[in-house]
Amino acid sequence: MTGQDLMERIQKNVGVPWQSQRTDGDADGIYLGKPETVVTGIATSYAATVEVMRRAVASGKNTIICREAPFYSRGERAPIGYRNAPAPPKEVIENDPVCRFKKDFISQNNLLIVHLVDNWDARTTNGQVSGLAHSLGWEQYSANKAGEYPAAFGFFQPPQTSLGALVRSVSEKLKIRGTRVIGDASSPVRSVALSPGLLLVARAEQILRTQPVDVVIAGDAVEWEAGPYFQDLVNAKKAKGLVLLGNEASEEPGCGQMATWLKTFITEVPVDWIPAGEPFWTLRSERGAQ
Amino acid sequence: MTNRVSRRRFCQLAAGSLVMAPGLVRAFGQPVAGKLTAREVVRRIREKTGITWRTPTADEFKVGDPDAPITGITTTFMSTFDVLRRSVAQGNNFVISHEPTFWSSNDMISEIKDDPLYQEKIKYIEDHKLVVWRFHDHWHARRPDGIFAGWNRTMGWDNYTIPGTTFMAHEYAIPEIHLVDLAGELQDKLNLKSLRIVGDPELKVKRVGNAGHYIGQCMALLPRVDVLMVFECREWEAAEYVRDAIASGEKKGLLQMSHEGGEEMGMDECARWLSTFVNEVPIKFIPSGDPFWLGA
Repeated sequence: MTGQDLMERIQKNVGVPWQSQRTDGDADGIYLGKPETVVTGIATSYAATVEVMRRAVASGKNTIICREAPFYSRGERAPIGYRNAPAPPKEVIENDPVCRFKKDFISQNNLLIVHLVDNWDARTTNGQVSGLAHSLGWEQYSANKAGEYPAAFGFFQPPQTSLGALVRSVSEKLKIRGTRVIGDASSPVRSVALSPGLLLVARAEQILRTQPVDVVIAGDAVEWEAGPYFQDLVNAKKAKGLVLLGNEASEEPGCGQMATWLKTFITEVPVDWIPAGEPFWTLRSERGAQ
Repeated sequence: MTNRVSRRRFCQLAAGSLVMAPGLVRAFGQPVAGKLTAREVVRRIREKTGITWRTPTADEFKVGDPDAPITGITTTFMSTFDVLRRSVAQGNNFVISHEPTFWSSNDMISEIKDDPLYQEKIKYIEDHKLVVWRFHDHWHARRPDGIFAGWNRTMGWDNYTIPGTTFMAHEYAIPEIHLVDLAGELQDKLNLKSLRIVGDPELKVKRVGNAGHYIGQCMALLPRVDVLMVFECREWEAAEYVRDAIASGEKKGLLQMSHEGGEEMGMDECARWLSTFVNEVPIKFIPSGDPFWLGA
């Protein structure tokens, strides 16, 4: 199976009309590497970090399927407008020592870096939501008992808890340290929406219009948009809080889900999820309680 | 008109004699404000920044009547509902905010006008006759950049600034310190509650770069510094870049702060600066503060 064969196989199995380009940034497909390269094994991950690539190579896999582009920019891909940097000019990427190191590592190891986001997210069951629900052990609390997640967010009713206890529980399950929270830790929580990735105000409004949940759990937020929007919601007693897991932590479980899905139609090479892991530590995680 | 003047004079007298009862003074209306309007304050600001005013700009009146008399000025980083309520409690009806009031870069109302939260916030603003003006572009464009002047003052890093650095790419040469201790110093001085860090806690740091918001700034600065500071930066940019730099063998670190951590002390600076040419009404910096707490 070559890289080209892999892409055709994915297109055939994705179950939605394949979207092969977008005007505002990187479309799905082979991002780096030659399509004729023979696939020796596949790693799925949030990002093809240097460590993820090393672990893939060490386990004999030369293909990494990821959400984020290897050079730290989504390009012009929405959401833009001062939320997202324009892609650095090509010559900056070419001369940057970190990018050069990465590029050399990719070519020396004959790697294929595949970008798979738009078509994965467009599937009839959203793998990012189901992946996060699975990692939290929350499938049993899903408002949709059929286990389908048709939207980019899902509604859950875990046993009644407080915001503080909810945050401790999800942080422990995901093994993360940098969970950021808006809201009063003692507020009671009965209903939660999971919305992996960057939360925009329009999405927050859509969630709350659909079902007025106590808490939204997302990846990250623009800190003059959905951040203060939730500060104001909490202040006006229209919601109990916002929990931000980190972009990686919120999207990574969906990459695990992607590996599970790929295995249903790829059997000739190993397929594994190699999580990039939370990049951050905090003073509390380093020094104990502050 | 005559009636208003005499009423104002009465309030001025009242303000002088009823120092123990500010609430009562406020109940009479505008205590010592005279005819000072928000528009007049902005006219003075434009004059004092000493730079050509840009168009288009975010620095506009967002809500309220700019020609109504003002009772006091709040400067803040983010005109959250909480900051508006604290302004009202303070008796300040003019809010100068660095960032938007309605959760988008240009305070785009058309997209949120049916949102119950918008309706509640705008009603509160109207009920309390607040005026909100945004002061973003030109406070940054002033030299020195007002935001970073305030940040430097709070950190005590004015003397560490490396000359010739540019907007949103400030470099500092600081006395050697371990990354974990530098993080602690930032947390204490900037009152951070959600600081997140990448890199070896024991990394020795002598050069620090303020890379603002964007990956392009990070790429420009990282080769020259030990540690980058970013705030309001997408997580697939700085954090992924710095962790790969470390994995490639470089000794680097990252301090990722809230938006407030990187900029809000600039609006404390703004209050200080305003008081040098506005003395008719009280002026107070009301911090919106680090919006997050760490849950783990």
